[in-house]
Amino acid sequence: MEILGDLWLGVQTAFSFWNLTYCLLGVFLGTAIGVLPGLGPTATVAMLLPVTFGLSPETAIIMLAGIFYGAQYGGSTTAILVNLPGESSSVVTAIDGYQMARQGQAGKALATAAIGSFIAGSIATVLIAFFAPLLSSVALAFGPHEYFALMVLGLAASVVLASGSLLHAVGMILFGLILGLIGTDVQTGAMRFTFGSFELADGISFVVVAMGVFGLGEILSNLENEADRTTVLTKVTGLMPTRADLRAMLAPVGRGTALGSVLGILPGGGAMLSSFASYALEKKVSKTPQQFGKGALAGVAGPEAANNAGAQTSFIPMLTLGIPSNPVMALMIGALIMQGIQPGPSVIQDQPVLFWGLIVSMWVGNLMLLVLNLPLIGIWVKMISIPYGYLFPCIVAFCLIGVFSLANSTFDIWLMGLFGVAGYILRKLDCEPAPLLLGFVLGPMLEEHLRRAMLVSRGDVTSFFTSPISAVLLLVAALLIASVLAPAIRAKREEAFQDED
Amino acid sequence: MFMRFVAAASCAAVLGSAALAQDYPSDNVTVIVPFAPGGASDTTARTVTQAMQADFGQPLVVENKPGANGAVGAAELARAKPDGYTIMVASIGTYGINPALRADLPYDPREDMEMLTVAVRTPNVLVTRPTLEVKSAEELIAMLKEQPDTMLFASSGVGSSDHLTAELFWQQTGTSGIHVPYSGGGPAQTDIIGGHADVSFQNLGAVAGFVREGQMKMLAIAAAERSPDFPDVPTFKELGIEGMEVYSWQAFGAPKGLDPAVKETLVGAIHGALEKPEVQETFKNLGFEVLANTPAEADAFVADEIARWSEVVKAGNITPEE
Repeated sequence: MEILGDLWLGVQTAFSFWNLTYCLLGVFLGTAIGVLPGLGPTATVAMLLPVTFGLSPETAIIMLAGIFYGAQYGGSTTAILVNLPGESSSVVTAIDGYQMARQGQAGKALATAAIGSFIAGSIATVLIAFFAPLLSSVALAFGPHEYFALMVLGLAASVVLASGSLLHAVGMILFGLILGLIGTDVQTGAMRFTFGSFELADGISFVVVAMGVFGLGEILSNLENEADRTTVLTKVTGLMPTRADLRAMLAPVGRGTALGSVLGILPGGGAMLSSFASYALEKKVSKTPQQFGKGALAGVAGPEAANNAGAQTSFIPMLTLGIPSNPVMALMIGALIMQGIQPGPSVIQDQPVLFWGLIVSMWVGNLMLLVLNLPLIGIWVKMISIPYGYLFPCIVAFCLIGVFSLANSTFDIWLMGLFGVAGYILRKLDCEPAPLLLGFVLGPMLEEHLRRAMLVSRGDVTSFFTSPISAVLLLVAALLIASVLAPAIRAKREEAFQDED
Repeated sequence: MFMRFVAAASCAAVLGSAALAQDYPSDNVTVIVPFAPGGASDTTARTVTQAMQADFGQPLVVENKPGANGAVGAAELARAKPDGYTIMVASIGTYGINPALRADLPYDPREDMEMLTVAVRTPNVLVTRPTLEVKSAEELIAMLKEQPDTMLFASSGVGSSDHLTAELFWQQTGTSGIHVPYSGGGPAQTDIIGGHADVSFQNLGAVAGFVREGQMKMLAIAAAERSPDFPDVPTFKELGIEGMEVYSWQAFGAPKGLDPAVKETLVGAIHGALEKPEVQETFKNLGFEVLANTPAEADAFVADEIARWSEVVKAGNITPEE
């Protein structure tokens, strides 16, 4: 059993005193920046990069990885407590998590997120340990056609997210898709809708839109209804999930872990899709789908598990191919290069201490996060009972710092203000921001992969159906759309028949 | 306009404390990297500033200003005061290709900037997917001539060095293919390995590992000489193809009008860092060659690059603004 020897090497590495210390430091920092709205792991890792020069390569990477997945944990805290998703993966958590918080169940929502994430993280780590090289071939099987089909499926799933009017949700998705068109066209290099501004050449940052529409928009509308907000949030019940709650979350966490583990492997945006694919799935299989959007436990447990599993398996392309799935991974590769290690296909053979040490440390880090986060829940929950007059200026300040830290650009701050006003107006019109953000994230990838697929197949549309992976994904998307539209059509017809009666 | 004003005002406030040339350096030096953290320019900036730190006397702060293939950060450098407290590390794309490609750039490396040194370079190499049935560059060229406009040439994006190298290759060999731009080198490399695209010109360092593991085939190297790591791979010149020496490079630049004494201090410190064994080691691992030429050589080099790519852009009729 070679794997046991490898794992033992990993255990020896991960459990050395300094590696444990830096792992704890990493997950602690990750949690902290995750909780602070807008501050993301990219800026933090970039700032800490010089610190890692003095460490051994495995210690450096263990700490940086800890920051990355720690931030995934922390991000859900802000999403649940103040409806502020700092990463695309926590947009979905905000939907039901924030509703639970408003009903005084913030503690339960946070604990669900933490436990779900821990289970998912542990399982995904085992998957990486045993199947990393094999799984990287899955990533390579995805070409432009397959990615396009996956994005179509994501778009179909985002329709399911809507808890209110279907028409409003579709409108918001389309609005998001259009916003995503801003920036340089990958296929021709032409700048679109940038009004000659080079600041817009790379499109609008996700964090800018999220902080504006969710954060500032929410604050503006809260300030308008100061009176009902304070009454809603004073009662806090059920700090911890009950035995029944734990049983109820088991299946969603399992499904979320499976979805997240698979999607996380795909470097072309898979990890990001995992949380709302899981939400859509939970809403579909639930016996009480009407609960979703109003504080459903499964709507927090599933996506949180999926996003953490995805965060772990997104290390696979980096570790087996040296190809980063996201900006944080790109930084970690930079850190390794400065340590004299060229990440690439031979890392597993050439750097066993690094590879196995990192994997074991991920599990250790997940355990640390659970231990760190469960006792903190009591403190977090108290945070929302802070008078709003003190709380909201702090949120605004952190949003500003966070957005500035993205690209050291004041332009982004003005843009966030603009989206804040947009978010307020959308709330007035009963339009949910979540579908908007998903359309915004999916749009550019949808277009890029579609056009590349057309280029590669010389305009042959049938190529989407001759690739088995793409055909299956498109079929699932079609079924999903049909299942959403069918009840709506039936209801319409019943209405029509009743009118005739 | 107002935003420009705010940015300029905040810069002025930071730089207000900067003192005279003889005291240089008496304050933090900002090193702009006009890309997101993690890429080749960022790695170059961080490796070199880290090594400069000990002897320089003042902190060197790397500041990432990503956007528009380096144009946002470069425009900021062009606007900065030429006092030696703002310099920039940028790539062939920012200093060499963009000015050849876009008429509406908010900066011109020849007018608004002066080069300190071209720090490092790495040759581009011709790689193919592992399953492509060619064994040599000659076979590939024969195949391209037989079936024009069918092979898929992956690149890191429109106007990237690998895109223009492919364009140059077509022009020099009288062949053609379909250009498939990706958003970055990583996705383009993934699709070559996965067999979704056929051919690409990538930086030697970026693909060396894949070639060793048999995940890509390397057919030729766009350098003056063969690489000691891949002695069997011929240069284009050996294959009888002229003008195919293409390196991706990283250079240090400053706003135009630098005081000569300040310039000497800066160039000396950068060259000193580039000579350190640990820095040489890092760049060797990356597949980079340390160049460290003089400011005059660097200025001439950048002007040559812009002229060269302007011709390729014109001959290939590459117009991004459509």
